[in-house]
Amino acid sequence: MSIKDLLTPFTAWKRITKEPVTIRDPFNDRPGAERYRGFHKNDVNKCIGCGTCEDICENEAIDMVPFKDPISGDSGLRPRLDYGRCCWCALCVDVCTTNSLTLSNEYTWVTVDPEDFRYTPGVDKKAWDDNEKGWKKPEGSYEFYNINRVEMHHLHPEDRDKSFVEMVKGYSREQAIAEADRCVECGICTATCPAHMGIPEYIKAVRHEDMEEGLRILYETNPLPEICGRICTHKCETVCSIGHKGDPLSIRWLKRYIADNVSSDKYKEILNTKDLSNNHKKVAIIGSGPAGLSAAHYLALMGYQCTIFEQYEKAGGMMRYGIPEYRLPYDSIDKDIDYILSLGVDIKYNTRIGTDITLEQLNKDYNAVFAGTGLHLGRSTGIPGSDNEHVYYATDLLRQITAGEEIEVTDQIVVIGGGNVAMDITRSLARMQNQKFGKVNIITTALEREKNLPADLEEVVESREEGAIINPGWAPQSIEIENGRPVGLHVIKCNSLFDDTGRFNPQCDITKKEFFPGSMIVQSIGQGMDLSFVNEDFKKDLEFGSRGRVVTNAYFQTSVKWFFMGGDIIEGPDVIHGIANGHKAAIGIDNYIQGIDFTPAK
Amino acid sequence: MVEILKELEDRFQVTDLVQQKDHLAFVSVDKNKAIPMITWLKDQAGYTSLTLLTAVDWLEDGKFQLTYMINNPKKNSQIAARVMIDRENATMESAHHLWESIRIYQRELKEMFGIDFPGSPEVDESFILEGWVDIPPYRRDFDTKKYSDETYFPRPGRQSNDPAEYMKSKMYPNE
Repeated sequence: MSIKDLLTPFTAWKRITKEPVTIRDPFNDRPGAERYRGFHKNDVNKCIGCGTCEDICENEAIDMVPFKDPISGDSGLRPRLDYGRCCWCALCVDVCTTNSLTLSNEYTWVTVDPEDFRYTPGVDKKAWDDNEKGWKKPEGSYEFYNINRVEMHHLHPEDRDKSFVEMVKGYSREQAIAEADRCVECGICTATCPAHMGIPEYIKAVRHEDMEEGLRILYETNPLPEICGRICTHKCETVCSIGHKGDPLSIRWLKRYIADNVSSDKYKEILNTKDLSNNHKKVAIIGSGPAGLSAAHYLALMGYQCTIFEQYEKAGGMMRYGIPEYRLPYDSIDKDIDYILSLGVDIKYNTRIGTDITLEQLNKDYNAVFAGTGLHLGRSTGIPGSDNEHVYYATDLLRQITAGEEIEVTDQIVVIGGGNVAMDITRSLARMQNQKFGKVNIITTALEREKNLPADLEEVVESREEGAIINPGWAPQSIEIENGRPVGLHVIKCNSLFDDTGRFNPQCDITKKEFFPGSMIVQSIGQGMDLSFVNEDFKKDLEFGSRGRVVTNAYFQTSVKWFFMGGDIIEGPDVIHGIANGHKAAIGIDNYIQGIDFTPAK
Repeated sequence: MVEILKELEDRFQVTDLVQQKDHLAFVSVDKNKAIPMITWLKDQAGYTSLTLLTAVDWLEDGKFQLTYMINNPKKNSQIAARVMIDRENATMESAHHLWESIRIYQRELKEMFGIDFPGSPEVDESFILEGWVDIPPYRRDFDTKKYSDETYFPRPGRQSNDPAEYMKSKMYPNE
């Protein structure tokens, strides 16, 4: 051993006064860069469990695992990461439909159990959950899909406010494909749709330009696609995952696109309904609205002989006699209905149960009866003056317009109501005023305030475009009558509709009064059911619920086993609930006739 | 910057000039004029330092885009030259005579995109993918998901749920 070997260790001492080049605490002294792509974070309250992160992951590092019970618009699932596979590319963050998923800049994690590296960000608490740094998709930067919907062409107000021609033009091929291309196929919408339509599947068919497949998917759950493609309340669009950052998919217009682009003479071939079996069992259906037609359609596919009894001259119920032609042209109604009738469904027009034929007779002649009679009776405000002959119900007027009957149209009209029916009558009368007087003079008022109006926003906007004044937030007090006809409506300010417990209990300010002049008043504050087709003895056998509705089980069977009821009288009111009820009732009726035991209670 | 870009237009007919920042510009240049241009930039214009060489796969167009980014340290100025080459039998002249370090980039591009640089030292040797037999993995037609499915086994106990199916099972199982 030389002297040098002895001294060498001490040479390090010459650095004893210098700054060390090593890091004392690498876990805390070396943070990741500001936008480093480190460990995942998820805002579980913002996340809707759409699973798009799972779909995009090239490494299959993400599983969707239960976090809570699903609700409309949230699958209740949350992404679980497997860090044995993740490569931190951040595609999951960039595609995230709600921007809930982000990466922290944390990158060190030591554990002895490899299973720890599988975790659900935001659910399994981690030290980096509150770390603000790391990778987030830059606000307003690139998107993997177009967040703006393809605009639908509408007729300009000046081109539509005098006539009843259809105002929504429908998508072209290019527009439909571009719109369909925005869908991430998460399927969150399906649960919210009352008919649980295969929405991502038919949108995919649009994208692949396979209209026949699209039509087959539509008819699995909805036999009125032309109609629904125009006037469905599209609850699905309110939960669309794409809607969290931009416009939701135009699901309704895409459905219309499919139906519009298949010619009716090909329906039977595409839907394979040329040769339906016949089981020689008969079902009577009361009312040809969406519920009755839907029940008839699905029963016909099962081989039943269905006969629809319709009180009016034409089929469609509220779809024809309630919804104005500019929203739903008669051709579209006829296309859907004619196909259902072509399946061997018989229809007897101008036939009213209770007067032309009794319910008891139907019970004798048929194996089961389904009633989808809807809500046709207008509800009165009951205020002084409301019994005047120039005070109308919206439903009556809309029906008369469709039937081509002459109705009174004055140059100054007040409509009471804030729902879609109120907008329908407002816009119909506005058109007729325009035709008759060359100008519009309508005030539509409602209890609800602007932001709580029950009508679809587009209906309110379009009513105003067409010249109507929508003035919500007023409670009607009385109708002033002079010389036997109305001169206007007295109202007071309505501040709130519901009390703290959520009960209907309007709070008004009597000091704030207003007078809306009008020589004709229309009431559109809801509709009631007309059970006059059922005689009093039979009513005793029917079980009624707390709100006066007939009680049915999950298959819309009433307490009278052979008598099923569905549609607006049971659930809704809207077309899509009617369709869903009719479909479910058809399954129930099939089970009942075959003597199969099925779920008894709702 | 403006003068040098003008000069590149005159001498090498560059196109698509984009001056991104004061000291950063992008130009497109023909494949056969690319090496003469960067040689000129290096020897005559003071762009002596190589920043990087990288590629983009324009699958639909049947092209690879090579980007040579070079730097003038005295002026702190960057020029990025974009060169489109055919995707089929992708080959590009080597620039290792200009910068020895570029052979590392060229070797990487050979391995990850399959772009050949004949004559570049060790260009055919494995870079990071020892024993790779599939198509080059940075090519966009390389199916990462399929590869990981076939190559790596799933961890036991993993289970996923489809959102729509899961919602049906919980919210309306009988419909």
